[in-house]
Amino acid sequence: MGILELHGLTKTFGGLTAVGDVNFNVEKDSITGLIGPNGAGKTTIFNLITGVYKVTSGKIIFDGKDITNKEPYLIAESGITRTFQNIRLFKKLTVYENVLTACHYNANYSLLDSVLRSPKFRKQEKKLNEQAAELIEIMGLGDRKNLIANNLPYGLQRRLEIARALALMPKLLLLDEPAAGMNPDETEQLMKLISEIRKKFNLTILIIEHHMDLVMGICENIMVLNFGCKLAEGTPTEVQNDKSVIEAYLGVEV
Amino acid sequence: MGNEYILGILTLAGINLMTVLGLSLLTGFTGLFSFGHAGFMAIGGYATALMTVNFHWPFIPALLVGGLAAALVSAALGKVTLNLKGDYFCIATLGFGEAIRLILDNVQTFGGARGWPGIPHYTNFWNVLGINIVAIIVLANLIRSRHGRNMIAVREEELASQIVGIDVFKYKMTSLIISAAYAGIAGGLMGHYMTFLQPKMFSLAKSTELTIIVIFGGLGSISGSVLGALVLTSLPEILRAFSSWRLVFYGLAVIFIMISRPEGLMGGYELTPSSMKKLFRNIASKRSNKLQRAGGDK
Amino acid sequence: MFFLLNTVYFPKHVKEKKIMTQFFQQLINGLSIGSVYALMAVGYSLVYSIMNFSNFAHGGVIMFGAYFGFFFLTFLRFPFPLAFISAAICSAILALIIERVAYKPLRERRAPFLYFIISAMGASIFMENLVIAIPAIGPTFRTYPEIFNKQPIKIGELAMGKLDVAMFLISAICLIILIYIIDHTKIGKAIQATSYNLKASALMGVNTDFILIAIFLMGGFLAGIAGVLFGMKYTVYPQIGIITNKSFIAAVFGGLGSLPGAVIGSVLLGIIETFTAGYLSSQYRDLIAFVLLITVLVVRPMGLMGKVTEDKA
Repeated sequence: MGILELHGLTKTFGGLTAVGDVNFNVEKDSITGLIGPNGAGKTTIFNLITGVYKVTSGKIIFDGKDITNKEPYLIAESGITRTFQNIRLFKKLTVYENVLTACHYNANYSLLDSVLRSPKFRKQEKKLNEQAAELIEIMGLGDRKNLIANNLPYGLQRRLEIARALALMPKLLLLDEPAAGMNPDETEQLMKLISEIRKKFNLTILIIEHHMDLVMGICENIMVLNFGCKLAEGTPTEVQNDKSVIEAYLGVEV
Repeated sequence: MGNEYILGILTLAGINLMTVLGLSLLTGFTGLFSFGHAGFMAIGGYATALMTVNFHWPFIPALLVGGLAAALVSAALGKVTLNLKGDYFCIATLGFGEAIRLILDNVQTFGGARGWPGIPHYTNFWNVLGINIVAIIVLANLIRSRHGRNMIAVREEELASQIVGIDVFKYKMTSLIISAAYAGIAGGLMGHYMTFLQPKMFSLAKSTELTIIVIFGGLGSISGSVLGALVLTSLPEILRAFSSWRLVFYGLAVIFIMISRPEGLMGGYELTPSSMKKLFRNIASKRSNKLQRAGGDK
Repeated sequence: MFFLLNTVYFPKHVKEKKIMTQFFQQLINGLSIGSVYALMAVGYSLVYSIMNFSNFAHGGVIMFGAYFGFFFLTFLRFPFPLAFISAAICSAILALIIERVAYKPLRERRAPFLYFIISAMGASIFMENLVIAIPAIGPTFRTYPEIFNKQPIKIGELAMGKLDVAMFLISAICLIILIYIIDHTKIGKAIQATSYNLKASALMGVNTDFILIAIFLMGGFLAGIAGVLFGMKYTVYPQIGIITNKSFIAAVFGGLGSLPGAVIGSVLLGIIETFTAGYLSSQYRDLIAFVLLITVLVVRPMGLMGKVTEDKA
């Protein structure tokens, strides 16, 4: 019984099976890894979970509720957020505005409230601003908070994307190749960050990654995907020693 | 003569501005382009005239009816077309605007193509000014709230904004309805200024002109829209002497703007102290980034 | 008794024949205007298939085609075939100039497609008003000299105007040649490849700039022909570009980006329009096109044969 369950998840595009009958559980509070060669269907699974793609067949259960094919914003509201492989920040907005926008969910004042600047509006806006400022501090972006997101160095852009995702106070965070393009130093910092936020924010984290040091370093459980189907599953040691995984992905011993 | 002439131009600019403000919300802040907003002006114009001429309503309530009528029609249109991909939504608005004009051309109840004369001259500089001020305040307050931020997010990255829990369809719809209401009120103002209404006042050319004003002023800037409306309405009037050539240069100018400065006059910034501060900060950080990259890494 | 038969049976029989004749008459009219729409619509689809935007400046090129033809015929007194081809060539060059000036710079800075549309609108406004402003041309309506006399060709009860037949034949020939080029020549294959994936084709060695030049020239050429034909059938005036919005609707109906779709959509639109004008009222002829547009967008936005694309996250 995990916080996220995939039952027979399948997605086809025309004749191509991108994801084929995948069954997988993600344990609550865990850091789980999703690895596999390029084109294996990893991001597609993320897209299916978050409602960006509609499933061809199968079910997705989150926290006991069926979220298959729900609207993306509803899935976000129920507690799942993500980052993207190719960083989809609100590039022309500042760091602060990126996070503040994402905090919207924690207020419920109406359009009329905004227009009339009602007391409800003022109180909730204040709260949102406090929340955004706090989150930015925690994520170590405080001194750059007025910079345009596009002008941030690459590593910080990824960090901002994570901060934005956390603004919704999710239960499950999906990270899509968060270490892409990072050098070993930055990757280490990222690993520390991920462990910290798991504790601080009470999260379950599911990571797609190609950087094996990161995956083997912090993931407790790993699923290996190949050609859309589950190839293997287990702890880092188990996966590293699995013959089929080694052949398909990690490299054959010479 | 001079004073009255200037007031006349400003009144016309103000009427245009009303629609442009609404379009600014839809296009500038939410990122949806429309080539049919003259259609909403037409609906509002004829509805308002109906209330004043046939039912003898006072002006302001009649205007509100006009805005409401346009808003309702926009909700129906939105329900059906907002799920279409960008290009197709554009085309749908174009079709809508032209369809409205053609229907008005052919339905004789409102005078058909010859139009509806004898509308009371209720619009003047002062009520246009007043209505615009209210409209600007409403718009500004809306933008500087979580709702406005959500619309901007939809414009920037629709996919990411969904992931962040924003109901994209609801916000696009809200934006469309408000923009249509503004356009409807503007149509009512127009009818009661010209004292007549004709379908050809609400052509594709008018819709295009409105969108161009928003782009010229700069997407995502209320000050830009205000400046844009003032400049682009008064300039042709002042240049009336060159009347047949002014549109030729106008067409060229549009191409030129898109090629050289598509971010328009204000480039997304406002004429407020906080926004100007942002602009300078941005320029400074761009410069330091350039130096950093030239100097070496880290 | 016989008298009764005469008044009841015979008139009905004659009435049926008249209805059939009228039906075919309308059908032929529809086909002829539809074929001209097809010439125009194909230009939209060609550009959309590669650049993914609706080239609203196309109507202006068609309008100029009509004026070019008029100019060559009346002022330079060219013989008809020469005037025809010259107008088409001039239109092709005009289309290319627009591409270089209004679109190429935007392509180079990878602007969003909506900027292209605004630029196209600017070009369209420029062209329409240039014609009005130039004193020698001005907004007056011009009529083409009569090339085909008004004597209709009669087949049985059907009377077909020589002009209508010519319109249909010329359009059909042009379209057949175009389809041949697309399907059977090297450049046609390159166009097809580029329409699937601009970047990939460039990487495969296709000179995409050259392809774009080719499609604008082709689209412009056909637009010129369509303009001349349109001018011959109706009159020449600066706002012709607006009428050609209907051919754009036909392109959407058939599926933006699909050439066969553009042709089929146009022919169908021409027929639907003519039947609406004939059987309902000519007032609704223009309106029906927009009703069709909204219906297509709601029910099946990619039209009869258009590309279906899904966003990759």
